[in-house]
Parts: sequence; C-alpha cells; structure tokens
Amino acid sequence: MTPEERIKAVGLKAGARVVGIASVEAFRAKVPEGHRPEDMLPGARSVVVAGGDGPTAGAWRCPDHRVMEITGYDLRENVAVHVMADFIEATFAHQTIQAPSLAVHGHAPPMSMMHAAELAGLGSRSLAAHIILNPEYGLLYYAALITTLPLEPDPPLAEPACPHPGCTAMYKRIGTTPCLRVCPACLSGTVKDGRIESSTYDRECCHSRAQTYGIGSFQKSLLQIVNEDDAEKRRGMIYSDFFARSIQALGFFRDSIAQCFECMRVCPVGRKYRKLQ
Amino acid sequence: MGVFRLDPAIYNRYKDQVLKLCNSFQRIDRPGLSDRQIAEQLGLDERTVTEIRCVAERDCYPLEEWEKAIEFKRKATLEWSALALKRPDLKPK
Amino acid sequence: MPGLPPGATAALKSSAFQAGATVCGVASAAAFDAHAPAGHRPGDLLPGAASVVVVGGSQPRAGDWAATSPWVLQTMGTTERIQSVGRKLAQQIESQLGYYALYVPPGTASGDTPFLSLMLAAQLAGLGSRSLAGPVLNREHGFMYWSAVITTAPLETDTVEGESACPAPPCREMWERERTTPCLKTCPADDGGCLAGTLEHGRAVRTFYDAARCNTRVHTHWVGGFQKVLEETLNETDRDRRKMLLYGDFFTRTLWAITYSSTNIAQCFECMRVCPAAHGLKEMK
Repeated sequence: MTPEERIKAVGLKAGARVVGIASVEAFRAKVPEGHRPEDMLPGARSVVVAGGDGPTAGAWRCPDHRVMEITGYDLRENVAVHVMADFIEATFAHQTIQAPSLAVHGHAPPMSMMHAAELAGLGSRSLAAHIILNPEYGLLYYAALITTLPLEPDPPLAEPACPHPGCTAMYKRIGTTPCLRVCPACLSGTVKDGRIESSTYDRECCHSRAQTYGIGSFQKSLLQIVNEDDAEKRRGMIYSDFFARSIQALGFFRDSIAQCFECMRVCPVGRKYRKLQ
Repeated sequence: MGVFRLDPAIYNRYKDQVLKLCNSFQRIDRPGLSDRQIAEQLGLDERTVTEIRCVAERDCYPLEEWEKAIEFKRKATLEWSALALKRPDLKPK
Repeated sequence: MPGLPPGATAALKSSAFQAGATVCGVASAAAFDAHAPAGHRPGDLLPGAASVVVVGGSQPRAGDWAATSPWVLQTMGTTERIQSVGRKLAQQIESQLGYYALYVPPGTASGDTPFLSLMLAAQLAGLGSRSLAGPVLNREHGFMYWSAVITTAPLETDTVEGESACPAPPCREMWERERTTPCLKTCPADDGGCLAGTLEHGRAVRTFYDAARCNTRVHTHWVGGFQKVLEETLNETDRDRRKMLLYGDFFTRTLWAITYSSTNIAQCFECMRVCPAAHGLKEMK
C-alpha cells in the first residue's frame, strides 16, 4: 500500500465516510494569505480531509423539526483526523496538526474546511448555501489535518455534484430547484447548461435558522435583557423558552451544531442513503 | 480600559461596507475578503475591521428573524413530510 | 497481593496503553496525605481508597508545537482523549477486578481548585515532576495531559521519579550565561508575566507564580472573560456601547470557547513552547 492508501485506510477505519488529499499549493489560488495551510504549519505540504456522516436516515424522516435541531452528530470526522495525525507523526515522522476550523473571530474560522474538502476532491459547492456536496453521499461534515509529509493529491471532482440532473430538469421546467424553492430567504441562483451559473447565499439570515439557539441568540437576547429597565419584563425575558434554549445550546453544543436542514432535506444528492425500510 | 471597545460611530460608518466585502453575503464566483484585505481596502487596521465584522454579523438581522426561523422550519419540515412520507395529515394549516 | 489476581496491575496498564495512554503509573492513596490538603485526598473522594491510577497522554503533537498560527494550540481538542482513557480504566477496574473505582472529575470543586490535583497524582505515580514553569513534565514525553482513577484495589505502586526533566541541560547552560531560562524569559513576573525562579545546584526552584495572571492567559476566553465583559456591560450606561461589548469579538470568541469547551481547555502555551523538555524526545521532519 502507498502512504496515501495507508493514511486513508486509517481514517476510514476511525469512522470517516470519505478521505481525500489536497496539496497546499492548491489553496493559494482562492484562499487569502493568513488562512492557508502553510500559514498554520510552516513547511506544510499536504492537507488530508475527512468527511463524516450527518443525521441518520431516521432523523431525516422525523416530522418534528426540533428533533434534528438537537440530535447532533458524533463529530467522527474529527476523531478520524486525530487518528490519522497520530499515525502520520508516529509512522512517517512528519509534523502534523489538526487544521484549525473553529470560528475564532465572529463567524470566521482560521481555515475553511469546505474549501479543503473541495480541493481534496471530496465534493463541490452547491446552490444550497454553497454547502459542499459529496457526489455519492451528499451532505457530509468535514475536518482536516495539515502535514509536512508530501502526499499525492486527489484530483478535484470531474463533474460537480450540484446541480443534480433532477434539479437541472426542474430548473428547465419551472425556473427553480428544490433548495432555492424551499429557502428563498437565504438562497438565490441560476442554472445554465446543467451547471451553476450564479449563486448567492445570505449567511447571516441562514445563521438565524441554522443556529436559532446558540451563541448568536444568546448575545442578542442578553443585549435585550440588559437594556430592559423594567424588572418584571426582564424576568420574563430571562426565564423565556427562547433564552433558556439558547443557554442549553451553549452547553449541549454537540447536539446543537446544526439546527436547520431544510435546503438539504429536499436535495436529491445522496438521497439513496436516506431510504431504508 | 477593559477589552477592546469599538467606537459606535466608527461601527456605523463602516458596517455596511465590511458586511458587503466579507463572507456574510456570498457569491459563489467571488469569495469574501479576509479582515486583512478589507482593512487594506478601507484604510482601517485589521483589528478594527474584525471588531466591526463581529458586531455587524450579530447586528444585521433583528431578533425577530430568529422567531421567524422557528416557524419557517416547522412549516418546511411538515410540508416535506406530507409530500415525501405521503402523510397529507401532516400538511401545515 | 490479597484479592487481586497476579499481574492485575500490569494488565491494567496494558489496557491503558491500548486505549491511548502514553504513560501510566500507580500511586498509593496514602502518599497524598503529606502533600494534599484535607478534603482533596483520594480517601476524601472514595472512602477506603488504596491506589490512584494515573494516565498521561494526548499531548500536543510535534506539528502543534511548530505551528505558527496561535489558533492551532488554542483550539485543538486533544485533552478529552486522555479523559476517556481514565473513564475506561475506572469501568474496567470495577467490572474485571471487582473493586470500587472513581474517575476523578477533570472539573473544579470550587473556583479554580480541583477535586484532586492531577499534577500531584502524576508526580506520586512516578510519571513526571514539576517544572519551573509549573506543569509536570515526563522525562521522555515532556508536557502531557493527565487523568486519574481512585480505587479501593491495592495495586502495585510506582516510585517517584528520581531525576526530573526540568531543568533541561540547555536551560542549565542558559542559566549559567544569563541567569534566566527559556520559560522565565518568555513570561517573567517582573515584567508583566507570571513566573520567577532560580536554579540552585542544578535544580529548579520556583520563587513566584502569579496564578491570577496566568489564568487570564490560559483562560483568556473562558468563564472569567465572560464575567468580566458582563460586569463591564452592566456598568455601561450607553446602549450602543453595550452592543459593542456584547456583540464584539472578545465576547463572541469567549462564547465559542465556553460552548466548544473541550477544544479550548488551554489557550496559552508560551512557557511550554520554549521549554526544551516539554516536547518529548522523538525527532520529526
């Protein structure tokens, strides 16, 4: 087995659904300085990306949207990345770090995992919030490692995963796609010749849906609370369901990472894995 | 002293420009700029741009949008369930 | 050893290594009496405690130490991994040996005081010794994270390390030349930092440690930071300025850190970054 095959096998065994490799050079074209792999680890040569599963097929079928809001997922792709990082340092004696992806200034992470997944050939951007869709599995969650070990990169996808042929046909018929139709507040776009022609995404509106309860809602509620001079009204705000759930989401973060799935619910890419008995 | 405090006047002057240039409102063919790039463009220092962006991200929609989000998801899930699960009884009224 | 099958301690250590521990040692519960205050000894948490099993590992990788982005070490999530090893050992002691086992909670009993000092436990289990900078350093692997299990099982205990990793030879040489060491130089108490100390007959002696200031660095974005901004916000009369505080970068990052607590356990590594003994002995490319 080649080093690339061995590393991927370790990641898949640790729970990743897919693993891909990108070279650090590939990031330079679109990633601003300060957010590239070599800005994190001097001498970086490769980025290994792991994709992990999201909600189970059963969770997708629940008619109560609140269930998926707090079902969470097991962050398996992060575990796979740690296991692969240990493997690379122990086996190949090359420096390796987990790529920092947690938001550190507002919504901005030090490094984009979506971009890393795209460059590692694991998926392509979609009309749905520009989420990276894997052509086989659709929505996956991504984590990555950066290493000084030179590895053969995987090629980017030859054919984009979005738009799905069914969506292209729908667009021809009625001028929209399932995702654009379900969430016009956050999404807009056009399709031409079976390709995305244009696409916009209002991340801040999406934030109110994908993170209805969490850091943002806590801050917004807290500002209202401290600005409220009436003690009775203040009490009502502090003990409200909305504020209580916002605090819960801070504590149970694993369960509350994503709280809106509507554009993905209607997306046909990877849907076959959501059809069970 | 305390933590870094952004002058509300500076915030009000630049918030729209910062939001427009960062990743808040994305176009698939044009990635948003980093705080450093925005700072260079607007002639501000990076720390101030970061601060403006953080506040603006929270500020740009009112809390009512969060309440609307709850209703949006409830309806969208039920509509999908009614159609995909062939359960017309779930269709929201 | 009455009640325990032969080789029980060795088998337990073997399980610890299989589960991901880098080192594993056992201290006698009684050994804590001379060092830990009442209320923070093994027997205070588990009546009849005989031994304390300590595991160390999930230390930053070579790459983490070399990383230039401050966010790598500040947001990496490895500490939880050693805690899961501790939990696993506790279950194993109860299910396989039939003795009570209590996983020492990694949180604090009150304020910044732990239930049981994990660093003391590591020392008494022969896994390392205190450094001038503060953390316990293992001679082979350097800085690492710790987890401990208190048990009524009378396991075979290890002896305390005779020689310490700190001061490392380069630090002794630096002391001879400059009367300082890398850790003291990077965070000097007399110049806005946290540490002061000397080397006496080749041994490190810490003379001062500003724990409160260290807390502002290690836990910049944490409960303390949250409390400080909240107090400042409530004292601020101007509503626009309140918004700047509550929506600002510092408070937002603090909420991220509290929410994703497992990946934000420590936010300052500067004394360990420059420590020649902290990064282990294995060379990386």
